[in-house]
Amino acid sequence: MPGRHRRRSVLAAMAAAPLAGALGACSGGADDAPSGSSRTGAKKPVRVTFWSALRGSQEVVDAFNRTHDRIQVDFQQIPSGGQGGYAKLSNAARAGNAPDVATIEYPQVPGFAIDGVARDITDLVDDRLRARLLPQAFGLTTFQGRVFSVPLDVEPMVMHYRADLFDRYGLHVPRTWDEFADLARVVRRKAPERRLVLFPTDGATQFAAYSWQAGAQWFDTRDGAWNVSLADAPTRRVAAYWQDLIDRDDVFMNAVESRQSDAQIGNGLVLTRLSGAWDAGAQMNARPGQKGQWRIAPLPQWDTARPAVGTHGGSTFAVTKDSGNPEAAMEFIAWQVSHPDALRARLSSGTSSQYPAASALVAVGREAFDRSYYGGQDIYTLFEQEAEKIRDGWVWGPRMTATGRVMQDSFARVPAGRGTLVDAVRAAQDGTMPDLRALGLSTTQHST
Amino acid sequence: MTATTEHTVRVPAPRAAAPSARTRRTARRRRLGAAGVLMAPFFLLLTTVFLIPVGTAAYLSFYSDDQPGLGFGPERTVFVGLRSYAAVLTDPTFLGGLGTVALYCLIYIPLMVAGALLLALLLDSGVVRLRAFAQLGLFLPHAVPGIIAALIWLYLYTPGISPVIDLFARADITVDFLGVHTVLPSIVNIALWSNLGYNMVVFYAALQAVPREVIEAAVVDGAGPVRTALQVKTPLVRASVVMVAMFTLIWALQLFTEPMLLSQSSPMINSRFSPSMYIYDAAFTRNNYSLAAAASVVLLLCTIALSYGVTRLTSRNSTAEEAR
Repeated sequence: MPGRHRRRSVLAAMAAAPLAGALGACSGGADDAPSGSSRTGAKKPVRVTFWSALRGSQEVVDAFNRTHDRIQVDFQQIPSGGQGGYAKLSNAARAGNAPDVATIEYPQVPGFAIDGVARDITDLVDDRLRARLLPQAFGLTTFQGRVFSVPLDVEPMVMHYRADLFDRYGLHVPRTWDEFADLARVVRRKAPERRLVLFPTDGATQFAAYSWQAGAQWFDTRDGAWNVSLADAPTRRVAAYWQDLIDRDDVFMNAVESRQSDAQIGNGLVLTRLSGAWDAGAQMNARPGQKGQWRIAPLPQWDTARPAVGTHGGSTFAVTKDSGNPEAAMEFIAWQVSHPDALRARLSSGTSSQYPAASALVAVGREAFDRSYYGGQDIYTLFEQEAEKIRDGWVWGPRMTATGRVMQDSFARVPAGRGTLVDAVRAAQDGTMPDLRALGLSTTQHST
Repeated sequence: MTATTEHTVRVPAPRAAAPSARTRRTARRRRLGAAGVLMAPFFLLLTTVFLIPVGTAAYLSFYSDDQPGLGFGPERTVFVGLRSYAAVLTDPTFLGGLGTVALYCLIYIPLMVAGALLLALLLDSGVVRLRAFAQLGLFLPHAVPGIIAALIWLYLYTPGISPVIDLFARADITVDFLGVHTVLPSIVNIALWSNLGYNMVVFYAALQAVPREVIEAAVVDGAGPVRTALQVKTPLVRASVVMVAMFTLIWALQLFTEPMLLSQSSPMINSRFSPSMYIYDAAFTRNNYSLAAAASVVLLLCTIALSYGVTRLTSRNSTAEEAR
């Protein structure tokens, strides 16, 4: 009997706890209101809520709040998009309580714009801000002449390589993809347990960047419709190129977000990594022991006379439809992407090699970056050159997460001998079209 | 459920028929009232947890928040007819999921029915010692929630942490439970482990109801234990076999928990592996509620059609047999 009694009281306490919390919240709200109205309205700062998964965001917000009286930002750290951050944002927008400012990566911008989460901010972006940011970056967040988010960083794809192992085996940095393929064969011959590079089975964004560089146009928005051609000629060329390397066993093929890949990099089994500029800093944080072994070179080209690259990674800031004060939200965004203090605050949270979309900030990033890891190499000058080569006109699709997932599902079957990379790209297109049609979008399909 | 309610309503009828028309009417009203009170909880639950959700899904599948052209304009909810259904039925990933589940059913249901029946017959024949212990041991996995079961098996299947794979490796045998060809059998294995004991209990209970005289007659006629089990007992529990097969089918069509968890460890299970996973993916990663609703309705119709097919087929067979 006493046992039951105790259980009941525990249950009662459990039932009461959330109630007390709710009451507390209510009284808190009631407290706020009178104090706000008792003061003069003009003095009360505008509050802007901000969600981000980016490292250093708290520091940026603190720096902003210190230097601004009229606007105060409330920051909440959320999981990264793929880890549930995007689902959280979608659900909040559905419930009508999304934050004023949200962080969205480039591939997801059109999706959030279509779903009505990201607000059309064309009129809020002034010419001064527009002039400060790299036009290719703005191009990725502009649809039908309307801007839906503001780029923070833009990440040209580069080649990170193990200079010490290149020296040991007498290898030269490849400038073209043909040289790269030859080098892959040489590496396997000279060091059978090592490979030149990894083809990531979970790397739809990497594959998109390769295709982007080669001149592919997976999506375009001509004639007011989403014209989808994932398996166009440049993409097929890229797919065939990598398929060849895979078939000859000249490259590793597994997931990059895996312990296996960590071991490949950590043990020096893989000689190059092809990824965005940001990855230089991520590498320093993840493997401080490899200091001095890595250098960075431009991505190999298909045609050295007309160099081009795609991007891999990078974030943007959007004002949501629920925002009660889009002007204040925009002011915070503009400061965050273009003010040197914002970048300094972000870098104070740890090493980062993000390449800012505002070219004036490149000097700040360069200054803060410790060059010794890359043997004194001035990687920011390299990034600057590569950023200029970002091919203009690339358009991400309306459901990029799902498109990429279907592609990766098929990539993962390639090592098991089921299908090829081209099949994977076609499967991604076939798996995307019904989705777009069910959303009521105008679509056309192409295969050239 | 319906059989018992009909019973309670009908039994008092002849007794109440004799007195005057007025008492008959009050008695009738009282009976109806009682029936209403007793049935109300059922209909209330049916409405709130079945009819309303199904109705909502059907509504969602016919309407959509549309913006014309590229989709950047203002949204408005419009009637779209069968557009979402057309999209679902032309989506190779959805059809692939249906194929996967069909294959799963073909492997899983016969194994489940045969396995559970075999165990029940063994227990019933008295061959097994420690009957209560065996029964409990086989039933216990059913008490483990599906998600916990999937986690346990995920641990046993994952290379590097699994003691089973370790053991095989020591004998120089490489096993990959999550490879292209093995992943479906691995899921079947989890489902068998969870549900075999439960269905065995159903069969065992049915076997208990078999009249002992029939079995004695079979023994007197010279039937051995195997023959008694297969040719005397099994036909007599036919109704439970059909019931178990149907429930297993309905449960199998909604395959979700096991592949959802295993997908974290195996790239061979994709985000649209089964129809239920497709629905989840459509709603929560693609934010395409019309598509998810249409896929749900398609899955529901498939389930109803298959269950109806199974009952029709078996009832026709049994009437044919009786006629013989």
